[in-house]
Amino acid sequence: MKTIKLLHMYPNVLDLYGDSGNVEVLKYRCAQRGIELQVFQHLMDKPDDIDFASMDIIYLGGGADYEQQLLADDLMGCKDRVKAAYDAGVFLLMICGGYQLLGQYYKDSNGEEIPGLGLFTYHTEASRNKRNRCIGNIVVETELMGEPYKVIGFENHGGQTTDVATPFGKVLCGNGNCWSSETEGYCEERVIATYLHGPLLSKNPGLADYVISKCLERQGEPSELAPLNDKLEQECREMLFGRLLNKQ
Amino acid sequence: MKIIYFFTILFGKLMVKLLKLAGRDAGNLPGLVLWTFNHNYLKAFKIDCPIIAVTGTNGKTSTTNFLNRIFAELPSKDGSGKVKVITNMQGNNLDTGIGSMLLKYCDMKGRVEADYLVLEVDESHVPVIFRQLPLETLVILNFFRDQLDRNGEVETLILKVKGFLETYEGNLILNADDPNVARLGTANPNNKKVHYYSVEKYEGATSELYEAGEGRFCPTCGETLVYDYYQYSHIGRFRCPGCGFGEITPEVQIKALDFEHSAFEIEGERYTAKHMGIYHLYNLSAVYLAAKLYNIDHGIVHRIFESFEVNNGRLEQFTLGGSSLLLNLAKNPVGANMTLRLLNQDKREKELLFVLNDNVADGLDVSWIWDINFSIFNGVTRVVTSGTRAYDIAIRIKCSGYDPDKITVLPDLDDAAAEIFRHEGVKYGIANYTAIQPTRAALKRYIESKGGKA
Repeated sequence: MKTIKLLHMYPNVLDLYGDSGNVEVLKYRCAQRGIELQVFQHLMDKPDDIDFASMDIIYLGGGADYEQQLLADDLMGCKDRVKAAYDAGVFLLMICGGYQLLGQYYKDSNGEEIPGLGLFTYHTEASRNKRNRCIGNIVVETELMGEPYKVIGFENHGGQTTDVATPFGKVLCGNGNCWSSETEGYCEERVIATYLHGPLLSKNPGLADYVISKCLERQGEPSELAPLNDKLEQECREMLFGRLLNKQ
Repeated sequence: MKIIYFFTILFGKLMVKLLKLAGRDAGNLPGLVLWTFNHNYLKAFKIDCPIIAVTGTNGKTSTTNFLNRIFAELPSKDGSGKVKVITNMQGNNLDTGIGSMLLKYCDMKGRVEADYLVLEVDESHVPVIFRQLPLETLVILNFFRDQLDRNGEVETLILKVKGFLETYEGNLILNADDPNVARLGTANPNNKKVHYYSVEKYEGATSELYEAGEGRFCPTCGETLVYDYYQYSHIGRFRCPGCGFGEITPEVQIKALDFEHSAFEIEGERYTAKHMGIYHLYNLSAVYLAAKLYNIDHGIVHRIFESFEVNNGRLEQFTLGGSSLLLNLAKNPVGANMTLRLLNQDKREKELLFVLNDNVADGLDVSWIWDINFSIFNGVTRVVTSGTRAYDIAIRIKCSGYDPDKITVLPDLDDAAAEIFRHEGVKYGIANYTAIQPTRAALKRYIESKGGKA
């Protein structure tokens, strides 16, 4: 049986609404193709000897400011392991707080600066006014395997991220990296770092399959995936595109 | 009397009258208008009777209804009849809603004639309301994550209530098994009137956290809390290995839970209840403790526990022919998980109706449904989903491993009501905040159209 190994970092701490649902979606879509998704966990202040580079996916969800402060030290302690995994082509899937913490730094709404892992050039600063947040439904157009793909999610972030070299996509509705920005998130072939909750993969089966096939490709396995019964997802997408994109 | 208060009441009363003439219910509007002119307008009311308030994320409306029914059974002081209790049973629980309600009951001097005020109060409005009105007893039920996009983080909300409690000296009735609530017992070290309630470990308790929970760390020293058991979500017997936080002996504990006969014991006496959901038992424990503080006759408590049902979409039963549907409100993952616990306890085959809206009052973000635990879904033969986010909940249930061919999506509520009653049998219904009343109405319409009584 084929297996994909996913390392879920800080599942107990970075666990805002529904973000762990991304793991559930991946698990479901793998299982339907006879692939086993093995989930490993890296917990705060619980040292482990997991070889990050031996994973297929590293996943980080979003958290509140307080929680991001709590785990800053532990995350810095993992810097070399995450970097090694990135260099080895492990897929990095990062949501909200996870996205911010891979950059240079995150300055939270209390003015406290949390150093990031510095993997990428961008940095994030939150407004000192806690009420000043980008909140709402969002649709982003990205490119998967050379084809345009619309990604639906929900954003809820105070942080404004700038100096993003290669954004995840173009904003069709919502805010994105900053207030009313044209772009959202950061991406490379094997990195998706984004503000989108929802959870991200729940209404974007094409994106979930992209992550899975990139993992298989790296393993040297055939990366073609059998289509699934995505009737509910397709109808959901049509309904939401109609509602969110056709506004006058 | 300050002249400004006189005009506040005069103007407010005028608005209530005009709205009534226009055939409209006052709602929040008069309070909202007065608040716009003067943020401290609640000070214009003169209230001499005890105010008992209930707050917390889940269970406010039910608990307030129970307390209202119990207090309303008390004989009046002159013995001529029953006491007068004023309550906001309809869930109008913001400062503007409470202000509007008081306008209806007060005289031209702002005096509110009543023996008790029993109020449901939104967590974030506790400080603003009770800096202006004299509070005698505050019941705090629980703090869960709830509509994060509207309410912000749970911690912010708890700190807001804590700030108020630092100078509060009235009765404080706290859930001993919710670390988010129990921590408030020391907000004012000088307050001697802090009382805790609890429910004994029940058969559905788990040794690991089964549903998304909040408050994993000790609020005093930051250590990870350890649990003997979890009753549901993060409610359970917890303690901090670092500083001892959580070592509480509750004053009242519901014991000897007898699910077969819908009965339990408190302080050695046996009570029966209409429902035995674990979260409902916590509400009843809080109600009992409040009644105890006011020396209310046990006979009244027995009678109300055994006969009263809130309905209004809170564990409300709908029947048609050989079918019955139990509908329950779920505003957040914990609420939905509670209904799923009841569904899974039921050994029969059943169908589930799930209605999900994403209106402003619900919170626009529906990702909370991914924190609902569908991993156990005993004997569910079919699912019908409805509401403005009918597809989202369908996808969520599908990805838990449920056969998508057994899910029917019907965003229109009347279609969904007809569909759920298509086959005779046992049914459960879950609807979120703005979905609950339209769902009740659609179910009633369908049942009546088939000659049933709703």
